Amino acid sequence: MTTQTEFAAALLDAGLPCPPGLVAWNGSDPALRFAVYRNNVVVSLVDALADSFPVTRALVGDDFFGAMAQVYVTAAPPRSRLLAFYGEGFADFVAAFPPAAALPWLADVARLEMLRVRVCHAADAEPLPDAELAALLGDPGRLPLLRLVLHPALGVLRSPHAVVDLWAAHQVEEVDLSAVDPASAQAALVVRAGGEVYVVALPAAAAAFIERVQAGATLGDAFAVAEPGLDAADALATLLRWRAIVAIGEGGPEHEWQHE
Amino acid sequence: MNRTTATRHAAALALALGAALTLSTAPASAADDDKEKCYGVAMKGKNDCAAGPGTTCAGTAKMDYQGNAWKFVPKGTCEQMKSPASPTGQGQLMPFQEKKS
Repeated sequence: MTTQTEFAAALLDAGLPCPPGLVAWNGSDPALRFAVYRNNVVVSLVDALADSFPVTRALVGDDFFGAMAQVYVTAAPPRSRLLAFYGEGFADFVAAFPPAAALPWLADVARLEMLRVRVCHAADAEPLPDAELAALLGDPGRLPLLRLVLHPALGVLRSPHAVVDLWAAHQVEEVDLSAVDPASAQAALVVRAGGEVYVVALPAAAAAFIERVQAGATLGDAFAVAEPGLDAADALATLLRWRAIVAIGEGGPEHEWQHE
Repeated sequence: MNRTTATRHAAALALALGAALTLSTAPASAADDDKEKCYGVAMKGKNDCAAGPGTTCAGTAKMDYQGNAWKFVPKGTCEQMKSPASPTGQGQLMPFQEKKS
């Protein structure tokens, strides 16, 4: 083990001794100084998670969240220097964290919050003018072969739990969950508009449709496998209203749509 | 997809798109806004590794969980939810009210 890996390992494991060979500038005990550093590393990462997952934290309280986040931090320290995206694996961790098992919706709330972070930082794109979409109506036979390229700052989350209601209930001063039934399934559309990230509830069939369109399915394919009850007009209107369609591509499923 | 199905889908999609274009002419007030915002700073505190509570060199260990999360019980806002009995059937860690049968 090199000096550096030894130092790094000791930072994340309080059970390991202070690495040998450290000297404090003022002659104080290096073990004490190292303990401060170790603490700051963990606390700053726990704080970063607390910032990214405010509703997850509110649902379980600061003590539980802090303890859970600390286990995550030591098990999965950042792999990237982009701290904003730290916590990509946090929802999966929460799902498998035994003390949180009594709150089966907690992981999906965390998933929703991570999706908000991704949408917040996603690339910008110009929406397609409505006129170009309207022009497609001139040749309806082509429609099923078209692919819609959606805005990068858009994501869909389908959950067996009431993630939208749980999240929305925490966006006000006086949190009131008495009307929320966490066991009812909900789907969320997360979009960015005017620099703000929005979370809106979507019908399940619309969420599945938009997910397929986003993944590159042709309109015909996405429509053919749509769940019963899909209101395609409403789903498309949702995309248009959020100015979420940025380009149109064409071609069979074997052709990847190429960016111009 | 046979030809009849394809034609039917094309017609349905044309109807849907036509309706969608009509429905969406009133833009969402939020989406219509041309506010300028700096995305990079929207999530506060992420880059200030030297600032904020717990990150100063105070010399005291603010966190002292000893890696033992097991004794912690969720004490957050979930407690406010009225009657969702645990869907997992596992022991309940929080004071849920029982579902009335």
